[in-house]
Amino acid sequence: MMTLKIAFRNILRNRRRSMMTLLAIAVGAVGIVLFGEFVRFVTAGLETSAVDKVGHLTVFRRGYFAFGAGNPAEFGIDDYAGVVRAIREDPVLAPRLNVVTPIVSLAGIAGNFDVDASKTFLGTGVVPSERDRLSRWDEHGVSRRRVLRESGLRDDDEARGIVGVGLARVLGLCERLRIGDCPARPAAPRATGARLDGALAGLAQADGVAVAAAKGNEPPRLDLLAATAGGAPNVVSLAVSRAEPQGVRELDDNFVAMHINLAQKLVYGRSEPKATGIVVQLRHTGDLAMARARLGALFAERHLDLELRDFAELQPFYKQAVGMFRAIFAFISLIMSVIVLFTVVNTMGMSVMERTTEIGSARAMGVRRSGIRRLFVVEGAILGAIGATIGAALAQAIATAVNHAGMTWTPPGQAAPIPLEILTAGSTGLVLRVWLALLVAATLAALIPANRGARLPVVDALRHV
Amino acid sequence: MNMSKSKWTSRPSLLVVALSGLLLAGARAWAAPPSAREIVEASDRARNPQQSFRSTLTLTTYRNGQARERVVLGVHAKPDPKPDPANAGGARPFKNLVRYIDPPRDAGKLVLLDASKMWFYDPASKTSVRISAQQRLVGQASNGDVLTVNLAHDYTATLVGEETIKDADHQDRHAWHLNLLAATGDAVYARLEYWVERDSYRALKGKFYSDSGRLLKIAYYRKLADVLGVTRPTETVIIDAVDANLVTTVEGAEYRAQELPEAWFQRDYLPRFEEE
Amino acid sequence: MQDETLFDSAPVVRFDRITKTYDDGGLEVEAVRGVSFAIAPRRFTMIVGPSGSGKTTLLNLIGCIDRPTAGRLEVCGQDVGALGDDDLTDFRARHVAFVFQSFNLFPVLTAYENVEYPLLLLGVSAGERRSRAAAMLDAVGLAAYGHHRPNQLSGGQKQRVAIARALVKHPALVLADEPTANLDTHTGAEIIALMRRVQDEQAVSFVFSTHDPQLMSHADETFAIRDGLLVEARS
Repeated sequence: MMTLKIAFRNILRNRRRSMMTLLAIAVGAVGIVLFGEFVRFVTAGLETSAVDKVGHLTVFRRGYFAFGAGNPAEFGIDDYAGVVRAIREDPVLAPRLNVVTPIVSLAGIAGNFDVDASKTFLGTGVVPSERDRLSRWDEHGVSRRRVLRESGLRDDDEARGIVGVGLARVLGLCERLRIGDCPARPAAPRATGARLDGALAGLAQADGVAVAAAKGNEPPRLDLLAATAGGAPNVVSLAVSRAEPQGVRELDDNFVAMHINLAQKLVYGRSEPKATGIVVQLRHTGDLAMARARLGALFAERHLDLELRDFAELQPFYKQAVGMFRAIFAFISLIMSVIVLFTVVNTMGMSVMERTTEIGSARAMGVRRSGIRRLFVVEGAILGAIGATIGAALAQAIATAVNHAGMTWTPPGQAAPIPLEILTAGSTGLVLRVWLALLVAATLAALIPANRGARLPVVDALRHV
Repeated sequence: MNMSKSKWTSRPSLLVVALSGLLLAGARAWAAPPSAREIVEASDRARNPQQSFRSTLTLTTYRNGQARERVVLGVHAKPDPKPDPANAGGARPFKNLVRYIDPPRDAGKLVLLDASKMWFYDPASKTSVRISAQQRLVGQASNGDVLTVNLAHDYTATLVGEETIKDADHQDRHAWHLNLLAATGDAVYARLEYWVERDSYRALKGKFYSDSGRLLKIAYYRKLADVLGVTRPTETVIIDAVDANLVTTVEGAEYRAQELPEAWFQRDYLPRFEEE
Repeated sequence: MQDETLFDSAPVVRFDRITKTYDDGGLEVEAVRGVSFAIAPRRFTMIVGPSGSGKTTLLNLIGCIDRPTAGRLEVCGQDVGALGDDDLTDFRARHVAFVFQSFNLFPVLTAYENVEYPLLLLGVSAGERRSRAAAMLDAVGLAAYGHHRPNQLSGGQKQRVAIARALVKHPALVLADEPTANLDTHTGAEIIALMRRVQDEQAVSFVFSTHDPQLMSHADETFAIRDGLLVEARS
């Protein structure tokens, strides 16, 4: 229609000014879209690195989340195997599940008494094959290019485990686990006390309690001491197959992962072995709310005294990090939109001023105020639409270039850098929303000068030189 | 059964002596050996006085054969006033109030042991803290478990047999070898191997095992001396089987019987406790 | 064409004690003071007067692009003071056309589109628009220049397009403010002749404001205004 025709031609009338306006809008679009896609990438990565460790939901005995950290064993789940089975067989949940696996969380002291080193540790007992399956979860496809590692534990080898790098260093396992960057242990203080009676000294040897020589190619051993749920001291031997960096230092200095059977042996000793948690991982994060409700109903049905926590509750860092990125994104979007707004107001303002006599003539000829307003608003809208489209296309091009440039970044809370990706896949919604938002912004921005033009008294407009 | 030295002789004639000797030997050969339970109860009684008493303990920790730490403690021990009906013959469980004497930086600190609970009190901060089972895994608190183990009360004994073992001074001794399994939830160790000297019922050696079956500690009992009228071992040598370089000696001295008020052995009393 | 039968000999414009005051930087100025007169239809009517006399204001009032402060103004029998802005605008679209001194064509539209524009405002169908606009362009002798933009036309050509634009909707009243001022004598004469011809064909009333003696010589009626008051009416 005529309004569109006039609007288009007026945009072309002052090519340079229109170009600058389009560029400003495009840059705004590029900024918001690129950052938005980056945030999507970060969020997907954070979600994946949370879900591939703690699943989507973890089942605990009621009260564990609030009080269990002090003594995990006290809050064991009775008949955990039965609960696992019930969850796996539930007809509503079964098709949505990826992994259901029990875990045992524990705390104790790890000792490498060959070198007089001991350290408190936080341990997790897992079912190795299920744990490996858990860690391969990748709904958003961000782990495609990440090097996936097996946990190093095996279902058939109960004594094998892995430790954090910090823990390995403190316990003097640096060389044997081939960890780089091993600082030399400080020398033990010079002993000045009396010597132990020779006769007594021989006793230990006589009983066979001796420091066993470590054989070359065997994995180094650690003694794990912990108090059982009943309060008795207990100790098991762990063969450390490797040290794995954990990303967060506090975890790295305390981390031990072992076979669930070994953990149960250590923590439950002579009592009935339990699990401190059951990890439930779904195929799709979108099913979380439904799964949570269904599990709650299942537990209520069977009168089980259990509670559920999702990965965001178990890893508050996830929520905080995602929240921070989203806040930054909102801020950037706002700033960009405001810039776009100002640019369009400025451009359309100049346009209105330059066409004052035209407005007067049109009004004299019988164009209503609304018609004048519509003319300029449509012009703004067209600028917004074209600018946003250019921006979206430009963003796609830049994203592709960045993704192929081989850049890496280390996400917060991770140990190693991963390939940086501006997540274009699945971002259609984001791009459309940005496009629409900028269109609306430009249209609204044009409204201000358009109103001014529409309200011009005809006589004054005609008199304008 | 009371197994004090038999006093059959009065005014011996040679014949009577010979006959007595034969009879004695015969009786010995044919008397039913004591049950595991009897042995355990007797050794418990032999090891610890059955009344309230005080003593001074010196703990010395040796690492790699070198003395590292020396702590002197004043011990107040009081048997549980309530007799345990299930355990009529055995020793009553003790409550122990321990005061640090040496080194000076720890002097005045208190530890209260009551069955499976342990409380620590520091006069500097005036707070008492429960020592959890986690915190008793290593260090001196872990030795406390060895010293206060109540075999008759918490364990079920079976007699494995008679053996000749070397004691802490490398002397041969004839001993009953007992196997004890945890009978109550309070029992700290899942299993013990215990060697009690035949006839004297004095404990010679103990091996303490964890729930996982690993050997945790080995204890040797030696240095016999008269303690409150009974000859008992006054030194315990504890060898850590997990931290193989660690040996602790616990030597007791200055034993004296003393009535101790029940009130002392309450957690709330700790701030008010004063050595008189 | 049906509008004309209604106003056969009634005045096309009637001023009844019209006053217009406006605010000039805080000072109230009476541009037109209690003016009363009537303009007969289907004539060349001239409004003359020195600058500042209120002539422009008078023309603005006649063209319904300004409102009187007091008095009653009838255009084509309609009391225009009673109309709201949208209604007034629609009234203009229907009955009043303008020819400006500076032509005032839409620079982004072609000659043809400029001429077509008023018909769009009236909601005329596409086919009828096409035929009427083409006919009008042809009538002003610019049929071949339909696709030219105003910046590709001479002054005279532009004014002819303006006239075509003004007349394409068959208005009752055409206001022309100094229509020949930017044209040379020859072109001016052609424009005047064109307007005369159209007036005969369509029975349109022309109201001019001019200093051009050539145009003034064609006046059927002249009104002189000075200091906001009508001083002379000459036929």
